[in-house]
Amino acid sequence: MKAIILAAGEGTHLSPFSETRPISMIGVAGRTMLDNTFALLKSAGINDIFIVVGHRKDKLIERLQQQDHNGLNLHYVEQKRKLGIGHAVMQVKNKISPGEYFLLLYGDTLTAENIFSKVQQSFHSFKCPVASICLPPSNQMFGNVFLNARMEITKIVEKPKGNNLGNYVLSGVFILPASFFKLLESSGNSMEKALKKVVAGEGLRASMWEDEWLDVVYPWEILTANKMIMDSWQESSIAKTATLEANVTLQGIVHIKAGAIIKSGAVLEGPCCIGEGSYIGNNSLIRSYTSVGKNCSVGSGVELKNCVVMDNSQIGRLSFVGDSVLGENVDMGAGCMTVNRTVDWKPISVKNGKRPMGTGMKKLGAFLGDGVVVGAGNTLQPGTVVAPGKILPACYSVTQK
Amino acid sequence: MCGISGVVGLKNISELLFEGVRNLEYRGYDSCGVALMNKTRLIIKKDTGGVEEFYRKHNVLQLKSKIGIAHTRWATHGKVTQNNTHPFTSSDGNFAVVHNGIISNYRPLREQLKKEGFKFSSETDTEVLAHLLEKLYKRSRNVEKAFVKMLNLIEGTFSLAFISSYLPEQIFCAKRESPLMLGIGDEIKFVGSDFNAFLDHTKNAVILDDDEYAILSRDTYVVKSLLSKEEVTKPIIKIEWDSETSKKGGYPHYMLKEIYEQPQTVSNALDLEASGLDEIVDLFAKSRNSYFLGVGTTFYVAKYAKYVFSQLAQEFFPSVSSDEFMVLANVNKQSLVFALSQSGETFDTLSALKYAKSRGARTAAVVNVMGSSIARLVDKVVLQGSGPEICVISTKAALSQMVILTVLAMKLALKKKVITRKTYNQYLQALQELPEIIQGILNERSGFIHRLASKYSGSRNWLYLGRGVYYPIALEAALKMKEVAYIHAEGMPGGFLKHGTLAMIDDDVFSIVFVPPPEDKALYELTLNSIEEIRARSGFVLGIHFTEQGKNQDLYSEELILPKVHPLTAPLIQLVIGQLFAYFTATSLKRNIDKPRFLAKSVTVA
Repeated sequence: MKAIILAAGEGTHLSPFSETRPISMIGVAGRTMLDNTFALLKSAGINDIFIVVGHRKDKLIERLQQQDHNGLNLHYVEQKRKLGIGHAVMQVKNKISPGEYFLLLYGDTLTAENIFSKVQQSFHSFKCPVASICLPPSNQMFGNVFLNARMEITKIVEKPKGNNLGNYVLSGVFILPASFFKLLESSGNSMEKALKKVVAGEGLRASMWEDEWLDVVYPWEILTANKMIMDSWQESSIAKTATLEANVTLQGIVHIKAGAIIKSGAVLEGPCCIGEGSYIGNNSLIRSYTSVGKNCSVGSGVELKNCVVMDNSQIGRLSFVGDSVLGENVDMGAGCMTVNRTVDWKPISVKNGKRPMGTGMKKLGAFLGDGVVVGAGNTLQPGTVVAPGKILPACYSVTQK
Repeated sequence: MCGISGVVGLKNISELLFEGVRNLEYRGYDSCGVALMNKTRLIIKKDTGGVEEFYRKHNVLQLKSKIGIAHTRWATHGKVTQNNTHPFTSSDGNFAVVHNGIISNYRPLREQLKKEGFKFSSETDTEVLAHLLEKLYKRSRNVEKAFVKMLNLIEGTFSLAFISSYLPEQIFCAKRESPLMLGIGDEIKFVGSDFNAFLDHTKNAVILDDDEYAILSRDTYVVKSLLSKEEVTKPIIKIEWDSETSKKGGYPHYMLKEIYEQPQTVSNALDLEASGLDEIVDLFAKSRNSYFLGVGTTFYVAKYAKYVFSQLAQEFFPSVSSDEFMVLANVNKQSLVFALSQSGETFDTLSALKYAKSRGARTAAVVNVMGSSIARLVDKVVLQGSGPEICVISTKAALSQMVILTVLAMKLALKKKVITRKTYNQYLQALQELPEIIQGILNERSGFIHRLASKYSGSRNWLYLGRGVYYPIALEAALKMKEVAYIHAEGMPGGFLKHGTLAMIDDDVFSIVFVPPPEDKALYELTLNSIEEIRARSGFVLGIHFTEQGKNQDLYSEELILPKVHPLTAPLIQLVIGQLFAYFTATSLKRNIDKPRFLAKSVTVA
């Protein structure tokens, strides 16, 4: 079965990370969300993959061309204009033969367990169009479904109104027939309307997904995604070419990739992950749920905790980064601190754009876009967002006269 | 776009090949064909139409073979006709080929072969493959060599498979761009366009990469690279697949499936033959000294029955746990012992019934399994018709029994003229609305209950409180929590608190209160008192209630507000909430839902 990954969207809520990449290129737990999807598809026996690209497509294609996909056939289809999900799906119309069923998935959703196997199993038993459904962590979701006992979806509604509601929602993974393109066309490329037509016509069966599932919408959800994947890890792995000096302490599940160097005195508390070629300085403390990307440099005496540091970033000595996300090529000077809670322990809101947004989280640090330079000695307020490429001058208590 | 399926095994594979190609029908279905082997003779059947239609029309399953390939086609080259359907055979009939993809250079190959005298029967690109094989075989007298030569001659995209009478126990296959994978079983090997073709028989798959070919026989297989001609060691991928999924109708667990079946099983319970129920009502009416009997969940169903019979029919029948029956009950010829059992094999209940019979008592029962020991033993039996209940934890069977007992209580009340026909009809109306209300709850509240359950799944101690008929509901809901989530949950009447239990209230003890609708005024207010008692000690209370939001705002730590319903069905709806709360607590604790530790479905031992 062919899989179609929708990876063209802009994901504006994910600023400061979405400006420079498609959402699916965000790295969590040591690899991009897209790589996570590839691995699941492969073990679900799917290797013909069409990726609909658009926003920042060069970044995605360039990155994928550099890596080995052991046996996956990747094809790219471009959505040239930003005309929504239905329009993105239409771009693959001529890749699917009449009568053929295909697996459709949204590139911004993430699971640790194999949702694609599950939905194929449902398809295998129902032999008709299938939509994966799940119970999301909040009820502010679109695509609420109503079911009957035979797992037939009887109704799809957008945000329902009322108390204590919580329907199963569409989780962004479908198996649909080629005839779906016709329905999309006749619905003005509205995914929602076309799905409703499937419900009313041929019928849409549900495949219930009970494991963790996440739609990554806001920057702090990158941390949730990171934790979700790390929680699914079963065992440690240390590449043959990694160097661990004397007196390095490893606890829990730790992934250390090729060429990484861990200097003496470092403590790594799993689950955590150190990417290819990265350097972890002397006496640094890498606490649980930390993901350090490729070719990063973490100076001596640095403490990292529940954070995602993407590729090629540097963190200067004696810094603390906690409950934070750092993009690629971030250069953080020595002695910086992401303060991760308020004095009164009130939930932290994030001002991303005009209005501050509640996160409900009591511990949250900073979100630094790609290429941000943080001068030495800076202290960042909880929930700070820094746009890509911004340079924050160093913070001195004593200066030259 | 087509589907390829092939099987080679020890015994007749005709049926397996059919299943395989049928499972690939989603890839296209305008025509279908098979090639089988009778000793060393190829048998070809093909026709237009869907897989099942084709198999029926040509009696294909009658043909026996230990090896075969099949194809379901969606035309790309050539019209939909029998001639254009795969497999294609070589002129001498020694090769049969199925193919998915497009041979882009088939025209020059075809012209060349025609010149050499090969006769073509179709317009397809695939037919050249069969003739090429024949031609190349004649040169080398080696099937594999001919195959490799052919692969080097063709251009385009393909996944293909063939069998040959020269090597009647082997399937040859290859791929370039179109998908193909192998299924590796014991003494059986499969090839398919995807694993739908074989996963009911093996979960071990080898995914072929481009320009690789494979040779399969029942006991072994080899994959080689077309470029290097060398053997390639391919990893066997274990396909993640739960073979029970289709039996579970797509649900993750039988327990959830059975919870979701409740709208239907309640309807079934309401559709039971009236005469059978009337006979039981007559038995109740003419007996004195009657008992309800059950154990575990059915004991709580019996307790529920005790309340509804008392409320509706003004009759008090004690409920006794089956295992205590012999030491407790005084039965005689005037007695009716009315038992409840899902399986109809429950040892304790069966023993109690036998004892009652030996004392000359009349017996009756509601059971789910037809022909079971209890069904055969008792004088009158009601088969509840809830369908098989597979999860060890009873949900749908218990709720159905409660509905049936409510109807029996109503009928007895009517017979005794405790209620009027009008009231009876109102009650019946309320029950008839129940399936739809449950369906609505399942659809619209699951997510909310799931969030509550995940949030509090760390709690190790729960008090389940209810008053009146809500007390057995609290007991049964607590039992669900104990059984499936392995969490201490104690059901008790709300009035018990101040007589001792209240002393336990602290940060580690959580309470769920089943609050009656406010129309049930006396019971409602008593229940609120119980909540106040806990809240005054800073205890946590999750209230499941029917009052509007905002009313009694500070009363609950968490609340689950249900739509306004008839007081008769309110406790039954709350039980469904209790089931879901236990279920989602268990899933968030990753418990073994359908087979909880140490438990068995029907307890047939003492």
